[in-house]
Amino acid sequence: HRLQGNDTILKCQKTFNNQIPKHNSKLYFFFCFKKYTQIVKDRMRSSSHEVHGTEPMDDESFAEFGKSEIFTLRTSMAKIRYANTYKMEPYRKFQAHLVRNKAQHILTQRLQETKYNGATSSFLCNSISEEILTAVKDMGFDRYKYVVTVLILQKTGQAIKISSRWVWDVARDNWVSAKCETESFVSLALIMACYYE
Amino acid sequence: MEEFHPHNDEMTFNAEEAHNIVKECIEGILGKVDYNHNKVNQWTATIVEQSLTHLVKLGKTYKYIVTCAVMQKCGAGLHTASSCFWDTTTDGTCTVRWENRTMNCIVNVFAIAVVL
Repeated sequence: HRLQGNDTILKCQKTFNNQIPKHNSKLYFFFCFKKYTQIVKDRMRSSSHEVHGTEPMDDESFAEFGKSEIFTLRTSMAKIRYANTYKMEPYRKFQAHLVRNKAQHILTQRLQETKYNGATSSFLCNSISEEILTAVKDMGFDRYKYVVTVLILQKTGQAIKISSRWVWDVARDNWVSAKCETESFVSLALIMACYYE
Repeated sequence: MEEFHPHNDEMTFNAEEAHNIVKECIEGILGKVDYNHNKVNQWTATIVEQSLTHLVKLGKTYKYIVTCAVMQKCGAGLHTASSCFWDTTTDGTCTVRWENRTMNCIVNVFAIAVVL
């Protein structure tokens, strides 16, 4: 059998009207129950599709449900939902100067003495980017996602142009770049931090 | 009212779509030209801005970072690596490599989900 969401609300309203006195608590109970019915409604949506031979649903929102929708509902049921913290800013905001110093330090430390070598440079590149990522994570800016890009370019008299653009939150997201130049190569590190909740 | 929001639970980055968009942008701008030092500035800026505009037009709630490197072909080696700290279920990246007779072009797209 299936339970229509609206019917439940009405039934609950009736039962509650009989039992509780006429205060604000009525609204409070109604609010809690509306939330409950929403959860029940969601659960009924997924379970009603498992049964074969149900009559076509009258409610519009039910009619749109296909296999992918059931799957997403199931995954959404499984995914953890956090309560609102009502916090709009991170506790520790991303501080560009600290990160720039750290990244510069890592680059110069690892690359100042080395010479460009085609075979080892790819590995070096990977390990430097991971090192910078761990260092930035350790700095402990909360609620940030990071993207670290490292480029190592051999010097042979050619020209290169690198440009970046982004669509993000200008107030909270930020980026940092660090450069290291030697006789045989140039290396560039770009660190981008994006705020998320 | 809820139906108008894109469902955040099922949102994943579509790398193929982004790949196609960026490839079209590059081919439109660098398709028939040779490396020209004076114009490279303009080219990279246009590639990046156009890619970004098209990505935003997809209408998904994502933050995008697009990086473009254009290099003259000179037999030099170029290595790039990137590491990311994000939510792998919703965020993603796409890299497009393109070349012609005189230059190489590498475009990286990073997409980070915004949870509404």
